This record gives sequence, structure tokens and C-alpha cells, in this order.
Amino acid sequence: MTAETPFTIAIPDSELELLQRKLELTRLPDELEDAGWDYGVPLADVRRLVDHWKSNYDWRKAEAELNAELPQFTRDIEVDGHDTLNVHYVHKKSDASGAIPLLFVHGCKWPGSFIEVRKILPMLTSPPEDTQAFHVVAVGLPGYGFSEAPHKKGFGPAQMAEVGHKLMLSLGYDQYVTQGGDWGALITRIIAARYGPTHAKAWHTNVVFLRPPHPIWNFLRFLQYMVTPLSQAERRGMARSLEFQETGRGYYMEQSTKPQTIGYSLADSPAGLLAWVYEKLVTWTDSYPWTDDEVLTWVSIYWFSRAGPTSAGRLYYENRVSMEELVKYNVRVHTGFSYFPKELIRAPKAWSRDAGKIVQEVEHEKGGHFAAWEVPELLVGDLRKMFGKGGPAHGVVEAKI
Amino acid sequence: MIAETPFTIAIPDSELELLQRKLQLTRFPDELEDVGWEYGVPLADVRRLVDYWKDGYDWQKAEAALNAELPQFTRNIEVDGQGTLSVHYVHKKSDVPGAIPLIFVHGWPGNFIEVRKILPMLTVPPKDTQAFHVVALSLPGYGFSEAPHRKGFGPIQMAEVGHKLMLALGYTQYVTQGGDWGSIITQIIAAMYGPKHVKAWHTNTVIPPHPIWNLGRYLRYMVTPLSQAERDGMERSLEFQKTGQGYFIEQATKPQTIGYSLTDSPAGLLAWIYEKLFTLTDSYPWTDDEILTWISIYWFSRAGPTSAGRLYYENRVSTKDLSRYSVRVHTGFSYFPQEVIRPPKTWSRYLGKIVQEVEHEKGGHFAAWEVPELLVDDLRKMFGKGGPAYGLVQVKA
Repeated sequence: MTAETPFTIAIPDSELELLQRKLELTRLPDELEDAGWDYGVPLADVRRLVDHWKSNYDWRKAEAELNAELPQFTRDIEVDGHDTLNVHYVHKKSDASGAIPLLFVHGCKWPGSFIEVRKILPMLTSPPEDTQAFHVVAVGLPGYGFSEAPHKKGFGPAQMAEVGHKLMLSLGYDQYVTQGGDWGALITRIIAARYGPTHAKAWHTNVVFLRPPHPIWNFLRFLQYMVTPLSQAERRGMARSLEFQETGRGYYMEQSTKPQTIGYSLADSPAGLLAWVYEKLVTWTDSYPWTDDEVLTWVSIYWFSRAGPTSAGRLYYENRVSMEELVKYNVRVHTGFSYFPKELIRAPKAWSRDAGKIVQEVEHEKGGHFAAWEVPELLVGDLRKMFGKGGPAHGVVEAKI
Repeated sequence: MIAETPFTIAIPDSELELLQRKLQLTRFPDELEDVGWEYGVPLADVRRLVDYWKDGYDWQKAEAALNAELPQFTRNIEVDGQGTLSVHYVHKKSDVPGAIPLIFVHGWPGNFIEVRKILPMLTVPPKDTQAFHVVALSLPGYGFSEAPHRKGFGPIQMAEVGHKLMLALGYTQYVTQGGDWGSIITQIIAAMYGPKHVKAWHTNTVIPPHPIWNLGRYLRYMVTPLSQAERDGMERSLEFQKTGQGYFIEQATKPQTIGYSLTDSPAGLLAWIYEKLFTLTDSYPWTDDEILTWISIYWFSRAGPTSAGRLYYENRVSTKDLSRYSVRVHTGFSYFPQEVIRPPKTWSRYLGKIVQEVEHEKGGHFAAWEVPELLVDDLRKMFGKGGPAYGLVQVKA
């Protein structure tokens, strides 16, 4: 394993000043009477957050805390057809014996970032005695956080998977397991399919994208699905999926067709970026009590990101134009699903039978799209259960001394 | 003679200063190599336009020209369940005998400026050519009209505003012309207020319901071979569905969220609108001044740029089934090759009592701006002596 290059977040004063000046010039829109959240983020919320960002929010304090809690590094990773990109990541080894390497892919989650590993990191690396431990690598994928952005067209989920895999190998983790949510779910699926079982030994996700069984090509499964009644949780989840389809996918449509056009707004307007991101932080979580500081640190990472906020949205475009290839990624390694009630997409369990070698499925009563942030103990609990002694994926990684 | 309240565009210096300061602080994104227009508006275009907007573009000159060319007014119009709103409009009567009243309705990202080129042609035509009294309003929430304050101000309310404005100006009988949202709105005006008040409807954006809901129509569609123009048009419609409707869906679901960006970032607003000015026109040679005047109207609009997008939302949640607003008065369609939606002719038979259909070789979504002579020609043909909609409006002496 080659030496690691430490990284410290250190946003230049000039960037903070520009943000401050822009915040001071914020021009806010009107709002309809009694609009609530119907038309998008309420004006009162944006006003309050912009004021706080301008007057009281302390980025330097947040920056120092992130640097103190998250050991960060950068590394050059070469991607087929795409040159070499400088990738930012969090890496913490565990002192516990039997710890296994885990690649956490939420750093590319939109609008998430590497920050999402913050709460689960200590739990995974320093667990109670006799509990499964993990060496954690949280990759900041190209175009997000402090990773360099791709320069060429075509940097999609498959390229992201290649980055994650090559990073693990370069850190000496020849065998590892993966955990992913949002885009990370698709990316870790690709990692498991392409690099397992040789390197990627197991896959866990909290966002279960599935297709219904084909009525002809998969007739028996289809029949099984048709006759299996849906649970209460499945029904609520599917209603949520429909709601997302009807009223929640505007950002998705724009970013998957014209990411550059919306990108001018997101790069230039702090209030605009704030609203765009905050809408999801609220609507995708399970009544999580966001503090203004939490929200602003989250949004600031986007604002101060190495390539700016625009590059993150391009993954939607690249995914759309590469869609036809992704269906062929079959996962043959141990797979674990965690279902959180406020996740965006919910497929009936009957659809998951053929998604992989499913060894664990856990239904939760609490939590949404940002599970690692909202209910870290639940997500960690599922990982410990899956990979710990007696668990269905225990021992998949040959432990090194 | 109806008393009107004249209006002059006079954007305060403080607004111009704020725009200037914001432009100076513009932070641009990166761009991928060799992307052209694939991912959205190219960086080079936005940079060039922002730089010119900041250094060189003269709003006050543009403002003076608009005031000189377009006689503008405001009027309070009461809308059922929505209170009273101040509506900005352009109004020019023709001196030519036999002139008929016409209301011209814009859409998004259009505005009242779209009447600029056709106004002199319609009001002061050559000898022995049909003339028109023209009213071009700024829809509530657009241009210099007040924006709605309550939820539920959709196309039907817009139609009510247009109709009441015409009545208030003494035009008890009139005809309508519209494109984009203006097409839907003028269709509703014609359906709701014709044939008593509205005598005919003309549009350049033909948006019929899918024939699948009517078996007879659907069968007719299936057996009628498509012309080349129809085939090209459907391909373009499909392409729009695949890659061009992000803005539509965002504005139809979260207009407030995107609104924060459009209100706060000149570069953001510029890109959002310019994307459509460029992609929906037929190689129209936009000058930077034209683009910036168009977008400045949005930037300096009375209620700000956010209110305009809410029309998409209100249309989506409206419980009224707009396909039931069938027009029973004389209807004219103009088909321009680069229009964003182009249905086969068999789909649109039932939108109205079609008396004229003209297929053009040139022009796109903003026909009145791109090819004003073609649009005006179609109107003169339809309403002039010998035309299929001649003499419908009882002309006052």
C-alpha cells in the first residue's frame, strides 16, 4: 500500500468573503398566501437560513470540527478513458481484531456528501467489545465534495464504481465489503457485480432499486408477486414512491437532461443552492430535527466544493444516457437490504428475490433517505448483524493479521 | 371613449445597481470538454452574455425604445375568488376602417415584448389589407402586471383576465391569438366566451389531447398517413419529452424552489430562459441586446421572475378538465417547423371549427418574434376580405 496524502479542508478567506458578499445581496421572491410546502421550500425557511448563514453561522468552526473528526486524504485514481482524477476520501482503520474493510459510498449521494459518514464512523471503527468492527473508507466521488470533477463526457455510475474499487485496492484492501445509499446504492451494486466475488465480498444498501418480475420471462416470480399481499410498510412505501414520481422529481428531470443550465444558478446563488438542497433534506427525511448549523454545513460543503455545485448534478445525466447497460449488473455476492420508512423508493419484497443473494432484510420503523445521518445506530446495527459473528455474511473477508 | 391609465416602464436606479453588483460577483461553473449544447447552455454563451449585461448593455436605452414603440397602460381587473389585480397591457387602436379587436396572449418564457414587431403590421397595414386593434397583456405574474397572491390562479383565471380586459376596453366582440400558454389561454377564452364575445381563435402552438381517449379519432389517426412535416414534428415532440422538459416538471411541482435561484441569480435566470430562446427557435439570429432585453424584463418584472413559473403548477393541480374546453368558433392554425409540439393534423380536428391551416417552411416557438410577417399574413388571410373568418366581428362605426 502506498503512503497516504493527508488532506485538511481549508477554504480560502477569499471564498468566504465572496459568499458573504453574495449573501448580503440576496434577492428573495414573493410567496403565495398559505403555500406551506406545496410549491417548494417556504420563504420563511429560506429567509431564516440565509440570515443565519450571513450573520451567525461559523464555517471555520464547522471546518475545524470536520477536520478533527474525519481523517481525510487525497489520492490520484486513474479511470479508463478518463485520465487521472484526484479523489478525496475519509479513511479510518479500526484497532479491534477481526475488523473488515468497508467502502461507504454516500459521498456521491446527492445532495449528500462525505459528511454522511460522520456519525457512523466511530460506531463502526470503535464498537463495544465483542462487536464487529470495520476499517472504513468513505469515498468522495469525482465531482463531489473535495474530489476533482470529471472533465470528459461519460463519467457515469460504472466509472464511479471503478474509482471506489481502485481506491480500496490502492489502500491494500484486496477484499472488502460495500455499503451504499442514493447513487451509492447503484454504484455499490455495480462494484459487487463487477468486482465480486474476488474482491467485493458482500453488498449492503438502504435504497433498494428493483424491477418487477417480468410477466413472461419470469413468470413464476411474477405469479408469486401477484398473489403475495403487500404489507402495511410496503403499501406506504409504494405510495411514497408514487408521490415522488408525481411531485418530487423535478430536480431529477432537470439534472438528468440539462445539468449545465441549472448549474449556473447553483454555482452563482447561495440562496438558490440552499433551497435546491434543503428541499430534499426536509422532504426526504423522517422528521429529522435539522439544526440550522447542520443544514448550512451540509450546503456549505456543496458551495465550497472543489469543482463547485454544478458537477454533482451531471451524474444524473450520465446515468440517463448510459441506462441501457446497467440492467445487466447481476450481483452474486451476499447482499443485505435495510428498509427505512421514509426512503424515496420502496419496492415490494417479492421483487427482490432475484436481485442478488439476499441474506438479510431488515424493516425499520424510523428513518428516511439519509439513514446514516438520521438513524446511524439502526444502520450500524444492521451492518453489525450482517457481518458480525453468527451473522449471515460473517467471515466473507479473509481476515489479515 | 374608455379612460385608460398610461404606464411607462421606469426601473429605479437602485434596481439597476443591484443587478450590476450581482453581475460583478457572478460565479461560473466548470464545463465538460466538447459538450456543445448537450448538457444545457454552453459556458461560453453565458459568460459572453453576463459580461455584456455587466459592461455594455444599456437597459435605459432599451426601456426608452419599448416605451416609445409600445403604448402601455394598467388596469385593475377583478378575478373570481382572487381579488383585484393590476394588469399591464399594450393597447393600440387602428385608424383603418373595418379594423377588428384582437387580444394577443404570450406564454413562458415569453412576455408582452413579443407583440413589438407585429403591432405596426396589424394596426397600420398596407392599403386594402385587414387591420386590427391590438391588446397585448402581461399575464398576471409576468412583466409589469401584479402577480396573483392566492393559490389556484391557473389558465382559467388568466382567460378571465383577458376577457374582462377586452370588455373593459369596450371590445364586446373580439378575436384571440396566442402561442405557448397563450394558446391554452386563448383556447379557453374562445371556449368560455365565444361565440357571444369571442368570434374566432388563432394559434401557432397546437396542443390537442391525445386521440386515444376517443376511439373514432384514434382509428382515423392510425389509418391516415403522416406528412413529412408531421413526422418531423412528432420526432421533435418526442425529443422535447425526452430531453427538454426538466424546466416544465420543476415549475409544475416546485416553482418556489427553483424561484429562489431565478430571483437571486442573473446568470441563473439568463441560462434558464436563454436555453429556450435558443433551442426553440428556427436558427433565429438573436442579438445579445435582444436576449438581454427579453431577460431583463423578467429580472425587473413587477413581482420578480418566480411568479411566472407558478402557472405550470396551477395548471397541473387544476381540477378542471381543460380538454372539455372545446372551441365552437372559427379556428385557425399556423404550423411552424421548429415549434416544440407538433401533433398530426388528425389529432387536432376537434380542437375547434378549423377554417384555416397554414404550413410554414420557417419559424419556431416564438413565431411573432422570429417570422412576424408570416404570422401576420396568416391573420390577414383569415380575417381579411374573402377570408374564412371575415366579417365575424360587428365593426363599430
